[in-house]
Amino acid sequence: MLRISNLSKSYNRGAVKAVDGLSLHVKPGEIFGFLGPNGAGKTTTIKMIVGLLNPDEGSIIVNGYDNQKNPIEAKKSIGYVPDNPVVYDNLTGMEYLNFMADIYQVPVTLRKERINYFLEMFDLTDAAGDLIKSYSHGMKQKIALAGALLHNPALWIMDEPMVGLDPKSSHLLKELMRQHCQKGNTVFFSTHILEVAERLCDRIGIIHRGKLIAVGTLDELRRGEQSETLENIFLELTEQ
Amino acid sequence: MKQFISLLITSLNVNFGISALRYRFTKEKKHLWEPILIGLSIILGGGSIIALYTVFLQGVYKGGQMLNSPELVLLIAILACQFMVFIFGIFYVISAFYFSNDIDLLVPLPLKPYHILASKFIIIMVNEYLVAWPVLLPAIIIYGTGMRPGLMYWLKSLLVLLLTPVIPLVLVSIFVLILMRVVSIRKNRDVLVVLGSLLGLLLGLTINYFAQKLPEGNSQQFIQDMIVARADVIKLIGQRVPPSTWATYGLAMQTLEGWMYFILYLLISLTLFGLLMWLGNLFFYKGLLAGQEVNRGRKKLSAQSINAQLEKASSPVIALFLKEWKLFLRTPVYAMNGLAGMIMVPFLILMPFIARAEEMKALLTQIRQPQFAMQVTLGSAGLVLFASSINIVACTSISREGKTFWISKMIPVPARQQVTAKLLHSMAISGIGVVVTTAVIGIALKLSIIRMFTIFILCLLGNVLLNALNLLIDLLHPRLEWDNPQEAVKQNLNGLFSILFTLAVLALSAILTALLVQLRASEWIIHAALGLTMGFLAIPTLAILYTLAESQYRRLEA
Repeated sequence: MLRISNLSKSYNRGAVKAVDGLSLHVKPGEIFGFLGPNGAGKTTTIKMIVGLLNPDEGSIIVNGYDNQKNPIEAKKSIGYVPDNPVVYDNLTGMEYLNFMADIYQVPVTLRKERINYFLEMFDLTDAAGDLIKSYSHGMKQKIALAGALLHNPALWIMDEPMVGLDPKSSHLLKELMRQHCQKGNTVFFSTHILEVAERLCDRIGIIHRGKLIAVGTLDELRRGEQSETLENIFLELTEQ
Repeated sequence: MKQFISLLITSLNVNFGISALRYRFTKEKKHLWEPILIGLSIILGGGSIIALYTVFLQGVYKGGQMLNSPELVLLIAILACQFMVFIFGIFYVISAFYFSNDIDLLVPLPLKPYHILASKFIIIMVNEYLVAWPVLLPAIIIYGTGMRPGLMYWLKSLLVLLLTPVIPLVLVSIFVLILMRVVSIRKNRDVLVVLGSLLGLLLGLTINYFAQKLPEGNSQQFIQDMIVARADVIKLIGQRVPPSTWATYGLAMQTLEGWMYFILYLLISLTLFGLLMWLGNLFFYKGLLAGQEVNRGRKKLSAQSINAQLEKASSPVIALFLKEWKLFLRTPVYAMNGLAGMIMVPFLILMPFIARAEEMKALLTQIRQPQFAMQVTLGSAGLVLFASSINIVACTSISREGKTFWISKMIPVPARQQVTAKLLHSMAISGIGVVVTTAVIGIALKLSIIRMFTIFILCLLGNVLLNALNLLIDLLHPRLEWDNPQEAVKQNLNGLFSILFTLAVLALSAILTALLVQLRASEWIIHAALGLTMGFLAIPTLAILYTLAESQYRRLEA
C-alpha cells in the first residue's frame, strides 16, 4: 500500500537533514504507528507522502502510484489529517464536507450516507450549519477527520491525530481506525502517545534524527524480552 | 519598570518586524528587493501628496498673513493632524487593544494591565507619527522659515511633533475602553472591518467632492481667499478643540503667555495619559475577557436540510469556484478591497455631475456630439477597464489561501483545474465591474447599446489578459505566510504589480489607437484591432499560466 524507498529531505540548503535515506513498506490492512522524538522527521515524512513537501531523493509509491510521477492518482488513494488542521474558517462545516465530497467525486447517495454518519458519530450535527471559525480546536480536528474519510481512502494518514480530541472522540477515532483497516484499507499515523501505539498498531516504526532506527511488530521490537514496554524500547533506541 | 521596558522593546520589535528585517537583510538576501520596492513606492506616492499639501499650506499661510494671523497655518495643521489621529486611532486602538495576536500571550504573564496598555499605546503612537509628521512638519517649516521666530520655536516644535497624537489617542482609548465594557466588538470583528472600509470610502468620496468644487486655475489663490473669508470659522473650530489652540499659541508666541500655553498643553497631555493608565488598570482586562466567549450561531440543521444541501454534486472546478466565492464574500477585508474600486469609480464618475451640475451639462452636450463618438467610446472603455481590473482578486488568489494552502496541495485536483477555478472567480468579479461601470457611463453619456456592447467586449477581453497576468504573478510569487487576512491583500506586493499591469495595458492600447488614428483607420477597425490585440496577448499569457501551474504548485511547499 505504501512503499517508501531511500527518502531524504534536508532544509537550509542541506544544513539540516530532516529525513535521511528512509525506506519503509506498509502493507494493506495494517495500522502502522510512526513514532519518534520531537524534530525526528515524522511530520516531514508524512508531508512528503501526501505531497505537501518535495523529497530531495527517493520515491514514494502509494497504492501502486509514484506520488512524484503520478501525483493525482496517488492523492486519490489518500485521506490526510494534519497535526493542526487549518481548514476554511469562513465555510460552514456542512459546506466544507460537501466541498471535499465534490473534490473526491463522491456520488450523491454515498456522500449523504457518509456525511450523516460522520456528523452523528463526531457529535457535529448541531454545529454543521455554523462557520468553522466558531469551532473549538477539537471540532476542527473532527471536521477535518470526516473530510478525509468521505472518499473511503485506501491509505488514511494522520499526524498526531489524538491531540486536541476529548476522550470520547479519541475512543471513536481508534474504533474508526480499526474499522477502516478491517475493510482492507491502511492506516498510517504518527503519535507521541506510546500507549495508543502499543494497543492499536499492527506494526510500529521509530524514526530518530531522520533515520528509521526500528520497525516491526511490538514483539519484534521487544526482541524476546516480553517484559519490555514500548516506552522502554523507545527510550533505549532514541537515547543512543 | 524593567518589565515594562522589556515588553515595550519586544513589542516594538514585533510591530515593526525589526528582527524579521534583520533576518531578511542577512539571511534572505534574495527577497531584499521587496521591502526596498515597498519603501520606494511609499516615498514616491506619499511625496507627491505631501507636495500638493504643502502648496495648500502656503496658501493658508499667505491668507493668514493678510489677516495678521500667520499662526493659522499651524492651527490648521494641528487640527488636521489631531482629527486624522483620532479617526485612524479608533481602528488602531480597537485592533491593538483587543484583536492583536499577542494579547492571549500577554494576559497570562505577571504584568499589570497598564503595562500592556501603555506598551500598546506607545506602539500606536509610533504608528501614528507616520500620519502625523507629514501633516505637521510642512506647516512648522513654512511658519518657521516665514516668521523666523527663533531657536526656541524649533525646540518646542520637536515636543509638539512628539506629543500631538497623545490627546486624541487618549480620548479614543478611553472611548474604546468604555465601549468594550458595554458592547463586545471582539465577537463581531468582521463588522468592524466593514465599518472601517466604509468610513475610508466615505472619506475618499468626500475629499473628491470638495476637490471637484475647487475652481480650475490658481488653486493657491483660491485657498488664500477662502482662508481670508473663513478665518473666523477656523478659529472657532480651534476654540472647540482647545489643545490645538494651546499648541498653536504655545509654538507661535515667544512670550510668557506663549510659554503658559505650551506648559498647559504638555501638562494636559501627560495628565490625560495618566488618567488612561488608571482607567486601563480598572477596565482593560474586564472588557478584554468579556469578549473572549465564542460567538456561535447554533443554527441546528435538520436531517432534511442536511440532505437537501447534499442533493447536488459538482465537478471539482465548480466546487473550487464556489469555495472561492464564499470565502471571498464572507471575509470582509477581501470583499471590501475587491469590490471597493468598482463601487468607487462609478461614484467618482458621477461626482462631477452632482458637484458641478451646470458646467457638466454644457460639457455633456459637447461630448454627445456624433463627431466625438469614437473618442468617448474608447475613453469609456479605458475607464471601465481600469475600474474593473484594479481589484486584488486575481493577484492575491493564491496568497489568500495562506495556511489552508495544504488543502490545495493535498487534493487530487490538477493545478490547471485549480487555476481555472481562480481565473473564473476573478473574471466573475471583473465582469461585475465591467457591467456596472459600463452601465453608469452609458447612462451618463447616453451611449448607444452597440457602443456599450463594444466597451463590454473590449473590457472583458482586457480583463482576461490582466487576470491571467495577475494570477501568473501570484502563482510565481505568492504571499502564503500571514496571520491576518489583511496582510494577504494589503501588504502584498502583487497588488502593486497588478496596478502596473493595468497601466501598461492602458498605455499599450492608447499607443495602438494613436497609431491607427494616424493611419486613418476607421473607428470599428480600431475597436477590432484593440480587441484582437488583447485576445492575442491573452493567449500566450494563459498558455504560460497553465504551463507553469503544475510545476509551481509542486514547487510551493506547505
